[in-house]
Amino acid sequence: MKRLILSLAISIGIMGTAIADYTFIVPQKPGQGTTIWAGIVAKELEKHLGERIVIRTLPGARDIPGFNKYHNELRTNDKTVMVSHGGNGVSFLQESVDYNYADYESIGLMNLNIIAGKRIGNDMSHPVFPAGSGMVPEAFAMTMLLCGPDKTMNQYIDCFKENVTWVKGMSGSDRRLAFRRGDLTGTRENPATYQKHVESDVNAELWFHHGLLDPKTGTHTDDPNFPGYQMEILFEQRWGVKPSGEFYEAYKLVKSFRDGLQKAIWVNKGNPNKAKLVKALQDMANDPESMAIIEAKNGKYDWYIGAAGDEMRDTLMTFITETALKNLVKFNKEALGLASIYKEQLVK
Amino acid sequence: MAGATTGLIAIYSFVGYFDDPYMLVVFTTAVVVTSSIGDSFCSIVMNIPGAGGAAATMIDGFPMSRKGEAARALSAAISTSWINGLIWGVLVFLFLPWYTGIVVYFGTVEMFSFLIFAMTCIVFVSSRYWFRGLLALALGVGVGLIGMDPSTAAARATFGWDYLEAGIQIIPIMAGLLAFPELVSAFRMKSEKITLDREQIKSQLVQGVKDTWRYKWDGLRGGFIGGFVGLIPGIGGAIADWFAYSQTVAMASKTGEKFGNGNVRGIIGCEGANNAQKATSYVPTVLFGIPGAPFEVIVMGLLMYVGLELGTPSVLADQHFFDMLLSSYMWSLLIILPLSYAFIKYAVYITNLPYQVYFWPILGSLIWASVQYTGLIEDYMMLGMCCVAGLLLKYIKFSRVSFLIGFILSPRIETLYIQFTTFGYGWKELLLQPLPATFLILAVLATIWGLFYNKARIEFV
Repeated sequence: MKRLILSLAISIGIMGTAIADYTFIVPQKPGQGTTIWAGIVAKELEKHLGERIVIRTLPGARDIPGFNKYHNELRTNDKTVMVSHGGNGVSFLQESVDYNYADYESIGLMNLNIIAGKRIGNDMSHPVFPAGSGMVPEAFAMTMLLCGPDKTMNQYIDCFKENVTWVKGMSGSDRRLAFRRGDLTGTRENPATYQKHVESDVNAELWFHHGLLDPKTGTHTDDPNFPGYQMEILFEQRWGVKPSGEFYEAYKLVKSFRDGLQKAIWVNKGNPNKAKLVKALQDMANDPESMAIIEAKNGKYDWYIGAAGDEMRDTLMTFITETALKNLVKFNKEALGLASIYKEQLVK
Repeated sequence: MAGATTGLIAIYSFVGYFDDPYMLVVFTTAVVVTSSIGDSFCSIVMNIPGAGGAAATMIDGFPMSRKGEAARALSAAISTSWINGLIWGVLVFLFLPWYTGIVVYFGTVEMFSFLIFAMTCIVFVSSRYWFRGLLALALGVGVGLIGMDPSTAAARATFGWDYLEAGIQIIPIMAGLLAFPELVSAFRMKSEKITLDREQIKSQLVQGVKDTWRYKWDGLRGGFIGGFVGLIPGIGGAIADWFAYSQTVAMASKTGEKFGNGNVRGIIGCEGANNAQKATSYVPTVLFGIPGAPFEVIVMGLLMYVGLELGTPSVLADQHFFDMLLSSYMWSLLIILPLSYAFIKYAVYITNLPYQVYFWPILGSLIWASVQYTGLIEDYMMLGMCCVAGLLLKYIKFSRVSFLIGFILSPRIETLYIQFTTFGYGWKELLLQPLPATFLILAVLATIWGLFYNKARIEFV
């Protein structure tokens, strides 16, 4: 038994962590979207930072545990940097998480968009769409497009239930195959995977997207990569009025937190290395060679670096109102069947 | 035990050094091919699953080692795996673009019915103690449901432990339930020293090749099963080996052969599925960017780093990419064969050593593989719990293999069932569509035959 314990102790000791200049914490498994993004950005950033960056993946359910770990234990290390994604933003609104964007400073973020595609020739008044907590903004958007303006929350919820087949339990592979087969009539992808899974499919076409958030005005503008298909534009074309009301405010809240924080790099407040990291990221953004590599993966989208990233975060926080948050949770629970919670402290 | 997935994850640490993206294609393919063949060594010589699927090889492989036939078992495993790798590699990589239609043919109903068929065969056909197996399978399914409820995205049966919300990982389960109890048993036993001289090893190598030829239909059937499973995204590779094994047992019933005590036919049956599944899982991955197996997620991620996005028109139009894929696969196969055979004699010497000598490195490797998930203390705790559970299950003679199969398939069965009902499918689709109906009829026949007529069930619990 002594030998067994000694062996265990030695084996554990050998598993020391690699020593690096900077560590990027990614709350996902290797091979997943944000881990790949972080790897590509880190590789380019190293050139301008002059120091080595190591990616450390801390996966867990809905990518929350890794971010919690950063918040509770790792953020006080000046060389530890957090890389989060839009799903973390949505979880922040409607789930019990420890992390809080207000406690960090932005190194930079990419304000991306999510694109919904549909099968050509299908009746999109009764869409069959893959479910998931990451699909909440799409559920809101299609409900508005289908059901029109001037309805109460309960009417929107009933309209969704009557018209949308919300297929749960689908992994990325499942939904992509089901969409290609035509079992699903709609799906959603990020700009890079949209090209692969929708644009390349002769039987599929663009349905809608959510637009890009302008942190200065707090409004969403059309995506120049997919012009004319922003939800707000399609809604006005279909129903003759601009979208508004409580339901729209809840939609705006959830899509902004997901897409506005789609890929974000954070350090703890007061981190002495912030200025150095921000400068390196700025230099990277000005380097056409580096940007060409990053844009090849994600499409051409703006970076918000340093103070601009903080401004984006601050704008997002202004969208959190009691009504919007309560309606988001109500729709999640009653229409989508998600176990969301209302977080009163966010409103405060 | 870590398998291709862990091997590929290790590439992340030096992926930045690949200036030529096509060199990474060569490298990843080589890792996949060699790990598929190499995982037999651990299973046969050490009774530790080289990967999820290779656990099936242990059942007859390790008893052969204990009987002094390790070289024969390894030779049969390698030659079967290699031949099927060659056949399915050629079929896949030479005709890759022509498979588009086949993959799209498999939807929720087809996958759901196939899983029912596969599980039925594994439980009723392959296990002598089918009732205990069924109980273990149910327990495995229950443990596999720990984590996140796919309908509500809420934590389920996690007892407030965040770490469990993503579910229990497969590697600590394999290490704790299958490998660790065997390791402890062997450590406590007085070493059974088996001395093989050079001539004996040589004759066993030849015998292993002869066995492969003699039971070629078992190997080819396994290859067909593996090839079929690999084509369907989301089924998972481990099921292929177990399914192929159960089919071999079923087909051998006429001769009244015993399995689980060192029957070379058992090794040939499941090893045929191994490389075939790896090869065909490239079809949905390359053509659609939809991973055909868990390791393909890592392959896709790695290649994305260097600008090769699988499933995109740019890659599909890149003839050089396809040439590199084909040539690297074939060269890997050609190189690994003599290397494997050269290594057999050294692997066999391990059986000559007292178990206590290699207990420590194996224990270290089990721990290393199990903590690759987060590297945090929770990984060690989970491994510890799985080890305790493994010892307990072994002590009460509960089928750890059935438990493992239930655990692996549990999330898949649940999500497929949810999809099945949400899409509004029912008995009509299951019974009236040709492929699902075929799978269901086969499942019923397998159950009847397994319960009342099968005399060649495996001697393990």
